[in-house]
Amino acid sequence: MSTTRGLGRRVALGAAVALTLVACVPSEPDGASGGESEESGDSSGGGDAGGELAIGTTADVVNFNPLVGNSRTDSWVTNLIYPAMMTIDDEGAKVPALATEWGYGDDGLSAWIELRDDMEWSDGEPLTAEDVVFTIDAVKAEQLGTVSGMIGAYESATAVSDTRIEFTLNRPDGAFLSSIGFWMPIVPAHVFGQAPTVADFANDSNWVSAGPFVLTQVERGQRYVLEAVDDYPLAEGGRAALDRVVFRVYPDVNTEVLALRSGEIDLIGNALPPSVARDVSGDDSLQTFSVPSLGWAHMQYNMRRPPLDRVEVRQALAHAVDYEAIREVVLGGNAVSSNSSVLTPTFSQWVDETAEEYEYDPELSRDLLAQAGVENLELEMIYDAGDPNISSWAELVRDQAAEAGITITLAGLERNTYLARTNERDFDIYAGSWAIIDEPQSNFGLLFSPDGFINYAGVNDPEIDRLLAEASSALTVEDARGPLQELARIVTDQVYDNVMYVEQFTFAASSEWTGFQPKPSELLSVVNPQSLASVRAAD
Amino acid sequence: MALLRFASLRLLRGLLTLWFAVSVTFFLVRLLPGDPALAIASPTMGEDQREQILADFGLDRPLAVQYVAYLGELLQGNLGVSFRQSIPVADVLLERLPWTLILTGSALVVTLLIGLPLGVLAATHRGGALDRFIQVGGVVGQSLFVPTVGIALLYTFGLWLGWFPIGGAIDDDVYGLEAYASMLRHLVLPCLSLVVLQIGAYVLTLRTNLIDALGEEYCTVARAKGAPERRVVWKHALRNALLPTTTLVGLQLGFLVGGAVLTETIFAYPGVGRAIYESVGQLDFPVLQGAFVLLAAAVVVANLLTDLAYGLLDPRVRAA
Repeated sequence: MSTTRGLGRRVALGAAVALTLVACVPSEPDGASGGESEESGDSSGGGDAGGELAIGTTADVVNFNPLVGNSRTDSWVTNLIYPAMMTIDDEGAKVPALATEWGYGDDGLSAWIELRDDMEWSDGEPLTAEDVVFTIDAVKAEQLGTVSGMIGAYESATAVSDTRIEFTLNRPDGAFLSSIGFWMPIVPAHVFGQAPTVADFANDSNWVSAGPFVLTQVERGQRYVLEAVDDYPLAEGGRAALDRVVFRVYPDVNTEVLALRSGEIDLIGNALPPSVARDVSGDDSLQTFSVPSLGWAHMQYNMRRPPLDRVEVRQALAHAVDYEAIREVVLGGNAVSSNSSVLTPTFSQWVDETAEEYEYDPELSRDLLAQAGVENLELEMIYDAGDPNISSWAELVRDQAAEAGITITLAGLERNTYLARTNERDFDIYAGSWAIIDEPQSNFGLLFSPDGFINYAGVNDPEIDRLLAEASSALTVEDARGPLQELARIVTDQVYDNVMYVEQFTFAASSEWTGFQPKPSELLSVVNPQSLASVRAAD
Repeated sequence: MALLRFASLRLLRGLLTLWFAVSVTFFLVRLLPGDPALAIASPTMGEDQREQILADFGLDRPLAVQYVAYLGELLQGNLGVSFRQSIPVADVLLERLPWTLILTGSALVVTLLIGLPLGVLAATHRGGALDRFIQVGGVVGQSLFVPTVGIALLYTFGLWLGWFPIGGAIDDDVYGLEAYASMLRHLVLPCLSLVVLQIGAYVLTLRTNLIDALGEEYCTVARAKGAPERRVVWKHALRNALLPTTTLVGLQLGFLVGGAVLTETIFAYPGVGRAIYESVGQLDFPVLQGAFVLLAAAVVVANLLTDLAYGLLDPRVRAA
């Protein structure tokens, strides 16, 4: 009796284990079960002449719909499939990609974009101006993603030919074309238009691409496989040199670096922490790339809370920080000064050569506080405890401020708590960083106008508002530069935003590959479409 | 009859526990600091966009209404749709679950296969050098930190010796037997790190209970009847000493799942633990709730089975 029961139990256990194992093992590509894996229509399928590049990332793709997903890995993968009309060059300027030319009407109330005429989706449908109109209308109607916040001036669009789109704007906005050109991925109207709403369209199978690669296989938590598309006119030779790109997920960056060193992956797409970057740069089998951030790291002082409403107090705080020490010690030299200006050196077309950084001078800080009649200043500084750089320099800021007689209490918070408190403007000092602030004409409005969504400090300055209006309606860089530089000087003098540094990101790849085209920011990194379309095996 | 009543009571208790876990989870995830709309969209969104997102996910309704609606859906087996991924939660979890089952299941089996003989060895060599060595090893193992063990194992066996892969659960494009071999190679290091961390609990528990059992009268009787010591240990004492260890399996299951979250992260293993970790950061309530329901159900079922096994093994339990 007991033997029978024992046998039964063992059989049941064995069956359970077998079922679990079977659930995990992939069937042959032609097999019946497919799980999440989907085969796409048109891909090279050719031999291995171009090879496979394995890229490490620390996070999974969250959403394959490029108009909804906004995580870094989402963008890396979907940017290879859904083309942007513009990309960014080394100087931070917008340059042609899918679009060839663009411009505004004289009154600034109309705009146009001309597209390439040789683009098509991987299912054979041509990519036309109708796809652009469909995309921007969906973004506006359904308030999709970050782009919806950039198109306040957008009224309507018409595809006047297969390659030309004409826009009607409700006010002049000199950043409109650059914003949609760079930030809005173009989706195929004939695919996304089938879904009841674009916002709910998961886009998790049968991908159709107009980029250098098309997604063919997804194993969440493990890998995302993209095959080269046969016809990609933007690449040299009309096709990506690689056959395949595989994104592999390593949530822990230390494991990711071990995988790079062991040859399991060929490239790390995310920026390496400064200490890891130092280690990696000494390895002969690896190459590193350094690109600047398109944003900046900063502190903001909540001017709704006295005495932070006094400019002398904010200047005292600005003089109580040794910025160079932070860049050298915490960032290991992987950061440059922005001379305390919100027009950072990454964007050479805007930069103000006369800007000067706040000098570290605790005595001057004490004098400024005395002038303001403030004694025993005690403040709390919030920051994201998950950010290793800021967690480190927050301590330096506290210690240096103590030299000037200012007591700063550190509040390193879990990320969502930090975001919530920032959003509620519940802080004395906010420490953080912007990933990308690329169009000052429109983005400075979010930062410094009284109703700006990310005006954390509570800036409310009529002169700033006047300069913002002047800059945003300027239709050329030359016309916008003057008011923007004036605005930036006020921001520095009034310490509306204390810009500390612009980080230089380091990426690492195996020396066995060449042809990378690094671009500024962690978002573009070395995994941008232009870069991956030109990567090939080193001789 | 007594067994049936015992089983029904335990089942009812299991269901109550499950309901409690589901309810606590529901309210707990909503107490998480932060705004799911903020985690979904960018901080640059406008207030109307934020309200639209909250309305889309039903988060603008009163908490009680959301709770009742959630329980109703759950009873129909519907775990909802992920906020962030726009796909059913069941799909998200079922894709990850087999990997977690393989990892935690194999870790449990290996732990028992190595841990039980070690516990017996320690008990039978009580006070000796071997006993002390095993005890110290067990305590050290329990006090280690998963990432430390993980990176040390990966560095040694993955990078330096090159015996095992660094991350993932299976290689690309492998099928049939080759696929099983690949799974096994990927499993060794994460499994080993879980074994190192939890084996101490089993070894030390079994050692203590076995020492107690060996001092019991029935063992003395067995020895007096001329039974060899090996038989006294393995046949008489161990059977009784194993009972508390059975309970430990149920209790440790929760720990095992907790350990799996970190282990899966360090070893880039694609299990449910990592899905939980990612969903906390993204405030993806449906996935979090679904994962906790699944894990709570697993722990409840395991404890139920443990209780029933205990009832079968020891008549005193079901009488109580």
